[in-house]
Amino acid sequence: MKELFNARRDFIKKMGTASLAAAATTIPSASFLASCSKAPVLPATADTVILLWMAGGMAHTETFDPKAYVPYEKGVESKRVLSTFPKVPTIVDGLYFSEGLSAIGQVMDKGTIIRSYRSADLGHILHTRHQYHWHTCYEPPQSVQPPHIGAWIAKEKGSLNPVIPPFIAMGQRFTVGEAEELKAFHSAGFLGSEYGPFLIPDPSSGLESVQPPQGMSLSRFESRYKLYRELAEQNPMLKQGSDYQQESLARSMERSYQLLRSPEAKLFDLSSEPMDSYEQYNTGRFGLGCLLAKRLAMNGGRFISVSTEYEPFLGWDTHENGHLRAKRMKDLIDRPVAQLIKDLDQSGHLDRTLIIMASEFSRDAIMEGRPGLKVKDQVNQPDLIEDEKFYGMHRHFTDGSSILMWGGGIKKGFVFGKTAEERPCSSIENTVVIDQIHQSVYHALGIDPETHYTIEGRPFYTTPDGQGAPIMELFG
Amino acid sequence: MELFIGRLHPLMVHFPIGLLVVAFILELLTVGGKRAGLRQGINWMVMLGAASAVASAILGWFLGTYNDYQGTLVQSHQNWGITTAATAVACAVLLRFTEKGTLSSLIPYRMALFITVSFLTIASHLGASLTHGEDFLTEVFYQQEDSYDHQGSADLLAELNQMDSYSEMHLERLNLEVRAIFARNCYQCHSENKQKGELILEHKRGVYQGGESGEIIVAGSSANSELYRRVSLPADHDEVMPKKGKVLKDHQIALIKLWIDQGAYWADRALQVFPEAPLALAKPALPESPSLGHPVDKLVDSYFSNNRINWPHVVDDQTFIRRAYLDIIGLLPTPEQVADFRMDQEKDKREKLVDQLLNDHHNYTQHWLSFWNDLLRNDYSGTGFITGGRKQITDWLYHSLLDNKPYDLMVQELVNPTADSEGFIKGIKWRGVVNSSQSPEMQAAQNISQSLMGMNLKCASCHNSFVSNLTLEQAYGFAAIFADSALELNRCDQPLGKFAKPAFLYSELGSVEADSIRGRLEKLSQVITKPENGRLYRTVTNRVWKKLLGRGLVEPVDEMDQPPWDAALLDWLAADFRESGYDLKHLIKIIITSRAYQLPAVGYDDVAKLASGKYVFEGPVPRRLTAEQFTDALSQIAAPVYYATAYSPVQEEFSTSRIWHREIKFDRDVLPEPGERYFRYVFDLKNQPASQASLLLSVDHSFELFLNGESLAQGNDWRKVSKLEIADRLNPEKNIIAIKGVNEGSIANPAGILLALRIIQQNGDTLLVTSNTDWKSTDKSPPPEWMTLNFEDDNWSKVRNYGSKHWDRLVTLSFQESERPFARASLVRQHPFMKALGRPSRENVATTRADQATLLQALELTNGAYFNEVLKDGAERWLSQNNLENEELAESLYLKAFGRVPSKKEIKTVTQTLGEQPSKEAMQDLLWAMVLSPEFQFIY
Repeated sequence: MKELFNARRDFIKKMGTASLAAAATTIPSASFLASCSKAPVLPATADTVILLWMAGGMAHTETFDPKAYVPYEKGVESKRVLSTFPKVPTIVDGLYFSEGLSAIGQVMDKGTIIRSYRSADLGHILHTRHQYHWHTCYEPPQSVQPPHIGAWIAKEKGSLNPVIPPFIAMGQRFTVGEAEELKAFHSAGFLGSEYGPFLIPDPSSGLESVQPPQGMSLSRFESRYKLYRELAEQNPMLKQGSDYQQESLARSMERSYQLLRSPEAKLFDLSSEPMDSYEQYNTGRFGLGCLLAKRLAMNGGRFISVSTEYEPFLGWDTHENGHLRAKRMKDLIDRPVAQLIKDLDQSGHLDRTLIIMASEFSRDAIMEGRPGLKVKDQVNQPDLIEDEKFYGMHRHFTDGSSILMWGGGIKKGFVFGKTAEERPCSSIENTVVIDQIHQSVYHALGIDPETHYTIEGRPFYTTPDGQGAPIMELFG
Repeated sequence: MELFIGRLHPLMVHFPIGLLVVAFILELLTVGGKRAGLRQGINWMVMLGAASAVASAILGWFLGTYNDYQGTLVQSHQNWGITTAATAVACAVLLRFTEKGTLSSLIPYRMALFITVSFLTIASHLGASLTHGEDFLTEVFYQQEDSYDHQGSADLLAELNQMDSYSEMHLERLNLEVRAIFARNCYQCHSENKQKGELILEHKRGVYQGGESGEIIVAGSSANSELYRRVSLPADHDEVMPKKGKVLKDHQIALIKLWIDQGAYWADRALQVFPEAPLALAKPALPESPSLGHPVDKLVDSYFSNNRINWPHVVDDQTFIRRAYLDIIGLLPTPEQVADFRMDQEKDKREKLVDQLLNDHHNYTQHWLSFWNDLLRNDYSGTGFITGGRKQITDWLYHSLLDNKPYDLMVQELVNPTADSEGFIKGIKWRGVVNSSQSPEMQAAQNISQSLMGMNLKCASCHNSFVSNLTLEQAYGFAAIFADSALELNRCDQPLGKFAKPAFLYSELGSVEADSIRGRLEKLSQVITKPENGRLYRTVTNRVWKKLLGRGLVEPVDEMDQPPWDAALLDWLAADFRESGYDLKHLIKIIITSRAYQLPAVGYDDVAKLASGKYVFEGPVPRRLTAEQFTDALSQIAAPVYYATAYSPVQEEFSTSRIWHREIKFDRDVLPEPGERYFRYVFDLKNQPASQASLLLSVDHSFELFLNGESLAQGNDWRKVSKLEIADRLNPEKNIIAIKGVNEGSIANPAGILLALRIIQQNGDTLLVTSNTDWKSTDKSPPPEWMTLNFEDDNWSKVRNYGSKHWDRLVTLSFQESERPFARASLVRQHPFMKALGRPSRENVATTRADQATLLQALELTNGAYFNEVLKDGAERWLSQNNLENEELAESLYLKAFGRVPSKKEIKTVTQTLGEQPSKEAMQDLLWAMVLSPEFQFIY
């Protein structure tokens, strides 16, 4: 902590008044929105949020909420298959996970599992539509663009460390299928692009986004900026008096210049991580994202998301070979997620860092949608499984899934809610919906549940009409 | 009796406030021994002030105790009031001691006076908060209060108070005023939308019926009416309405009392709570002003004289030509165009320039296309397309602008569309179930209201609006026009069991009822474009004015019920537009040729001043270049930012597929991994030798091309199409094209080959060879003879067509010489660079763009790889094309970028930066500094 504060102090000194003023640029740009929040600020239990996003629909029965194990054999009935892995104990008495998640199982004494999340019913499934809903709390389309939860947090809480953008989204590329839908919710919406995500699709090249352009030395970078200032000062427009647009440009340029030459940018350089630690995380891009998230969380990151990446029919989006692919996905996440929690715990940061692990919905071998609201099938699942390719959870299930949380005031070794042991494995106790999850995150950060802005004459809350209360049972 | 004494408190408090504050001011005037004559008066004031402060405190105590005031606010006010009285007494005592000579200096007394006045201020503020509500000072900032005519209702009360008996007309006015008070202060909780305490104040039935605790009015007796009791309680009372700390104004309470006492009459007329602009256009006469010929200037002249503003001089030629180019065609004028214009001695040269630019049809279209794309939510990519839930109107829009289609016809074709223009009312539909307020027909109603009518229907599509007079029924009535079956009203997504009757928002314009959608749309298209629908024409006029001068006559531009800063000017322009045959170019011309447009730009240090209803026009506002203007200007002066468009107004000559090695993961086609891939294709000329053969090739990211085993070309920039003439290298029979392609990067990412080879054979036949799925490829390093005809590629696989899934039209392949060296930004698919610069993702109608820079934008401009590459390219071009001495280079750069010659100082800066032998890096950095400087970034 001490290092952080020293670094921050140095930085503030370096930035000088010009850039402190820049930090305030956000005020005029949003002034057309009249904030009406009046309730007292609640004491925060977290300063930083890390969202570990299991993109594509992670089956709860194959991961954190295992049901009866039915091993593969030729001709097994699909309807018998609830879990394709045996269950194994975790460090918490009576809590079992599906095989392949033992490292995460060993850190459950530091966190909570919610087993009763119910996704929205949006009809015929489109992953990105559910993801949009999860991240913004609003169902698309909307008549104004709702902000991502990270943007709300960036707006309400700002940067914790001025060098680190308050909203960082890692691991998702926007060149994949459904890219436009992905872009639509990776957005600050009506809050304005100031609060939008700082995108790092590939965490191992994160450094490129925070240093001078490739091939430009620091001295050249500095003299280039000097030249810009010199030319700008001779600009005849200046003679016409001050102008808010021109000033906002000058301030933003100054802030970006300071940020790109600050030594703190090295945080983004994963090659400076000790080799054994690097290898511990390195299960691929997701694992390295967890590593970068750790480094940022320890140095004043505000909201950081790390996605396993959504690409139609890949990742958790298992339309076939579900068993085999779930195994691979577990290999991808188990070690780095557990390591992230251990490292933050050891350094003392876990107390003020809320880590959430979630997915847009779950999967099932039989049911598409949810009981009573069956929607159009997208996968052909035979009654009898004659080929291992059909062994797994291939349909989209919206009636129950797991969300894991650690740190930031969350209870330790706690299980909230449950799902049925038999199909349909729906949430049957303490059902939780997205509004409550968002409100719980805001609660942990000390953001007023009534926070809203007036946009086009209409009050726009963090959750629709300000609905949903934080789940107080989750907090220790 | 105690109560009566207590109520004298509000009267008494004004004495200490007045006396002590004036005493303090006068005291300040005597500092330094000046104005000794004031001393006697000050002494009296302090004494009387102290005495009245004590009296006020005592009376206040009575009021607080016997009048049942409670709460922390009351307590603080009481504490501060007593403290103030005590310090006032102390102050008076000190003064007395000084007068007597007991104290030698005035300083203790003066300090005490200062403290007294400070405490007094606090106590008074708390007191005012009690009587007027805590947000008394700040509430004037809320827009709803802003537009409310308090004077009107106070006047009504005064008028009615003077009368002994009331006519029906009076009772009606009284009732409507009371309902307006309800609407502004009570509807938020007590309306159909939100029936708190089961009370609805929106209609007669609700008011007469009362809420869960019974009736709220007893007609004829305010004393027995719960409604009156609740609104007349003290601000701090727990039961006070509208809510604790916020009470109605005295005259509002009095009006409610009067209304109840007079029998609580309910008028049949519908309530118009919010001010509405008249539907029809006024036809203002032009003021007499002999010195000014232009109609806009005659009107502005009268506006100026009303506001005591003198006409400034219009801008010089250089500034004007830059503005006109950027505003009409979105491009910078070339140095030659600037020079010619400045040399031109003709008197009407500005008007001629405007005509000339408006007649540059394609460039005009390619500039204004962005404005219309924003407004009509049209884009080349975005949500919805993936599941067929969205459609472009680009081709229709492009040709409408190109032909300068009359605006009424454009609107008709938008609301009653052809296949080419139906994308606008079709909205965006995501797969699955959609909230009733976002159904396609509701989106149509919302978008037409916002874009074309400057009206917000979004609130009313869920419930009766809180910010306008629009009702849920109106919103559904409008949406029903677009629905193919009866549309049931939903409030906040809950069905009401009531069906909407199709009607346009202004039913007075005519009926839109018909048996089919087509029939209704046909009627709507006629009704909405009637000349009587002034609002339609006023809205577009205001938008164009804002686009050209930076601030609308009405702001916000989507709230056309707000008062314009000059109503006569707005209506004259809109009427003139109508009379011109709805000619958009005429509208632009009449604005740009006015002196008003040609005034120097006026900057604002505070954006709130610009947006405020008290804005006074003094000239145009400096405007930041839009993402598209900046991109095109960069293409003009540095290097092409984009090479290919997502939409091309001309037909493609032929079609090709974008191919690459098929890559599979888990039985699924996926994005290509980085690395080398090898491609082969064999074709046969069948003994008809080629007389001419042109080959076009673009590979993302890099390639080496072989023809019949020989290396022909290499490239590493897919945006630059390689063009080769290869007739003399072709065999008369079999030929093989082989390509070694490389996909760069660290993770899987798009890659592809686009190739076209046109061969004209000696018998006159034309053969076209293109990249298609008959090509073969491998990702394994092949033996050295892989690029020859002899090689057997049986174990290679067929390539995959990556089509347009990730690219649309990536580059333009054409055998004709390209006339345009770069792609206009308006035609390019949304791209992170332009997005950072503020081009909106057109998921919703976007009628204004953010005009302030953000950090993420500055980062993109400081270290963005894409921008950096363009500048690098630009630096190379400047150094290779311009064999100039540094000074000439500086001049050429300044002329191109800023339209002016550099000053001596600027030449020195440039020369120093470039050094004796300009390096690519120095040139690149200079270009960067120039395009980021405000002079480049702004239209001023």
